[in-house]
Amino acid sequence: MIAQFIDGPLWIFSLSVFLIGVTWRIVTILMAGNRKDLATPRGSASAGAIRTVFTRSVYERSAATRGRLLLVAGYLFHIGLFVLLFFAQPHIDFIAERITGLSWTAIPHWAFILSAELAFLGLLLLWIHRLLSPVTRMLSDLDDHLGSLLVFLVMLTGCLALAQSFESLRLIHLLLAELLLIYFPFSKLMHTFTFILSRGYTGATMGRKGVNA
Amino acid sequence: MYRVSNLSQAGLGLKTGVLLWLLWLLLLPLETVADTKQPKGMPSTMVLNPAAELWRDVRQRDMPISGTTQVKGVDSGVLINANGDKWRKFRMQQLIPIGGFLLLGILVGLAVFYMVRGKVKIVGGESDRKLPRYTSYERLIHWFMASIFLFLAITGLIILFGRPLLIPIFGKEIFSIIASASKEGHNLMGPLFMVALILVFVKFVRRNIYQKGDMSWLLRGGGIIGKKHVPSNFFNMGEKSMFWMLVLVGSVIVVSGLVLIFPVFGQSREWMELAHVGHAIGAILMIGVILGHIYIGSIGMEGAIDGMTTGYCDLNWAKEHHDLWATQMEKRGEAIANEEVNRFSDPDTNEYLGRELREADK
Amino acid sequence: MARMKFYCDPERCIECNACVTACKNENEVPWGVNRRRVVTINDGDEGERSLSVACMHCSDAPCATVCPVDCFYTTQDGVVLHDKDICIGCGYCFYACPFGAPQFPEDGAFATRGKMDKCTFCAGGPEADNSSEEHRKYGSNRLAEGKLPLCAEMCSTKALLAGDSDTISEIYRKRIINRSASVMARGVSYRDASFRAPYSAASKSSAKE
Repeated sequence: MIAQFIDGPLWIFSLSVFLIGVTWRIVTILMAGNRKDLATPRGSASAGAIRTVFTRSVYERSAATRGRLLLVAGYLFHIGLFVLLFFAQPHIDFIAERITGLSWTAIPHWAFILSAELAFLGLLLLWIHRLLSPVTRMLSDLDDHLGSLLVFLVMLTGCLALAQSFESLRLIHLLLAELLLIYFPFSKLMHTFTFILSRGYTGATMGRKGVNA
Repeated sequence: MYRVSNLSQAGLGLKTGVLLWLLWLLLLPLETVADTKQPKGMPSTMVLNPAAELWRDVRQRDMPISGTTQVKGVDSGVLINANGDKWRKFRMQQLIPIGGFLLLGILVGLAVFYMVRGKVKIVGGESDRKLPRYTSYERLIHWFMASIFLFLAITGLIILFGRPLLIPIFGKEIFSIIASASKEGHNLMGPLFMVALILVFVKFVRRNIYQKGDMSWLLRGGGIIGKKHVPSNFFNMGEKSMFWMLVLVGSVIVVSGLVLIFPVFGQSREWMELAHVGHAIGAILMIGVILGHIYIGSIGMEGAIDGMTTGYCDLNWAKEHHDLWATQMEKRGEAIANEEVNRFSDPDTNEYLGRELREADK
Repeated sequence: MARMKFYCDPERCIECNACVTACKNENEVPWGVNRRRVVTINDGDEGERSLSVACMHCSDAPCATVCPVDCFYTTQDGVVLHDKDICIGCGYCFYACPFGAPQFPEDGAFATRGKMDKCTFCAGGPEADNSSEEHRKYGSNRLAEGKLPLCAEMCSTKALLAGDSDTISEIYRKRIINRSASVMARGVSYRDASFRAPYSAASKSSAKE
C-alpha cells in the first residue's frame, strides 16, 4: 500500500513539483530582465557569459590558501554526486525506465562506489565545517542544513540499499529522493541550475565591458 | 576393526566352506590370523586401506596440499580448508561471547565509575577567561572521524551481535534487511575511515609524542582517582596513549578491512580469515577505548567537550587538567575573556572571526 | 526419513568433470560459480587421485553456525540449504566451509559479490517446489521429482554417489569388500590389488605448494 504510493503517485507528484518548480524559478529569473546598458560594448557579452560559466569552475587562487581540504572537499562532493547520480547502473536503469526511455553507458560498479565515497567524504567535511566554523555557522540558515540533511540522507539510504535486493531499502531511498525533489525548487539547492545564470550574468556584464571575468 | 570386517565380509561372496573358515578365523585373536598366514607365504593383510593416506593428505593433517582442478577460482584446488574450523571457533566461541561481555563490562564499569566518582568538576569553578584549544580544522577532522567511526561501529556491531541479539527481536526477514544495509554501509564507509585516520594522524602526531612528565602522570593515576590534579601538557599521558592506540589499532583495522573488501587480488581464505580476526579484535578494542573517550568527553568531566565544540576551553579547566600547557598559554597572553569569545556568536561584533580563520589556515 | 549424502570414491573417479558440467547445466548456475569441482592430487604422477567435491551437507554445518543472518537450514532429508532472500553476501560461510562450497557469483571490489550460491543437492530452496522463482534462484529441484542429484546420476564410473546415507554406505561397503576379496583371491596386499597405482606419500613431493 505505502510501497505502491511511494513507487507510483508520489514519484509522479514529486517529479512534477521538481520540473514545474525549477522551470518556474528559472523563468522568473530570466523574466526579471536586465537594465538596458547604453554604453558602447567593448566585447561580446555572450562570449563572456559562456566563458565565465566554465572558468568559474576553477577555484580562485586566493581562496585556495584558506583551508585546502575544504576546497578539495567541494570538488569531491559535487563531482562525486554528479557521477554517481548519472552514471551508476541502477540510476541509469531507473531514469531510462521512468523518465527518458533511453539509457547510456554506466561506469563499473567499483567506480560507482568510489564516486559515492568521494561524495560522502566531501559532503561530511563540508557539512561538519558548516556547523563548526563560526563564520559558516552564522551564514547558514535552516534551508542550508535541511538541504544538506536531505542530500545526505538520500546518499546514505542509497548506500545502505547497495545490495539491490531488498525492496524496502530501495523504497526508503526512493522516498527520500522524492522528498528531496519536492524540496528542491524552494531551496538553495536551486544553485544546481542557477549557477549558470549568475555566472552568465557576471560574465556577460564583464564581457560587454571587455573585461575578462 | 577395519581388518576384521574386511575379512569377515570378504567371505560372503565365496563358497560356504570358505565362509565357515572365515567365521572360524574371526573367532581367533587377530595376531593368530596373521600368524597362521605368514608361514603359508601369503602377503600380510596388515596393510590398511591405502585411501587412509589419501584422506589424511586431503584433510591436510601433515602439510598443506593443493591439487589441480579445471575450476578456476580462489583456493579451488584445496580440498579441505583447514583453517576454516579454527576461524569458526574463534568467531563463535571467543569473539562473540568474550567481545560482547567485554563491551558490556566496559559500559557497566563506566556506569559504576560514574556513580562512584561522579562528574569531574572544575574545582576552581568556571573562570572568566578561556584558552583557544582546537582550531576549526582540528575540530573538523575530529568530528569527521567521529561520525564515520560511530557509523562503522554501529553497523559492525549489528553484523557481529545481530544474530544472538536482534534476530529474536525483529525476526530473520527484518533483521536481514538491517544486516544487509549495515554490511553495504560498512563496506562503503570503511575506506573513509582510512582518510580520517590519515588526516587526524598528520594533524595531531606532533603533540602526541611522549614527553617528560608523562610518566609521573601515569604513576599518579592521571588524577582521575582522588581530588588532586596532575600536571600535564597539551595532551596528557592517557590521551597520548589513546592516540597511539587509535593509530596502531586503527591501521590494523584499516589494512585488514581493505583485505576483506577487495577480494579481487586472489587472496586466499587464510588471508581473509586472518584479516577478519585482526579486524574484529582491533574493532572491539577500539570501541572499548572510544567508549571511555566518549564518557570522559561528555558526562565524565565538566568542560572537557568545550574545546572540541567551540574551540575554546575554560582557563581553570585547562589549569587543572593540562597545567603545563595552560601556564605557557597564559604567559603568552593567549587567554581571552569570556565575553570576547561569546561575541563570536554575535554577528554585529565579529572582529574575532578573522582571527579564527587565520588559525584555521595554519 | 532419508539422510542425504554425497560420497566420492577416489579409486573410481577418472576426472572427467562430467559432474561439474552436469551440475552447471542442470541448475543453470551463474557465471563464475561452480557448485561442484573435481580436484586432482598428484596430477600427472603415478598414483594420482581425483575427488569430486561440492557441499557435503554436514550434519552440523559450519556455514550455518557462522552465518550472521541465520539463513541456512537443514531439510528433513538432511540437505543443507540457504535462503537467498535472507543472505546478505558477507562471505563468512565461504571462510568457514571446509569444502569451499559456498561461492559468490561476483568478485568485485568493495566486496560486491552478490548473494552466495552453493550446491543444493538438487533440492532447490525455500520456495514452492519446482516454481520458476525457485529455479531462477537455486536451480533444479530434482529431489522433489523423486530424482537424485544429476552429478551423481551422470557419473560414468559411479565414483560419485548420492542418496540416502544408508544406501550409500552399503554400496561403498560392498566395494570395499570386493576389493578385499581380490586381496584374498589374488593373494596380494590391498595396495597391490588395486588396478591403479597406489596413492602414496612418496609422490607427494610434486604436489606440495
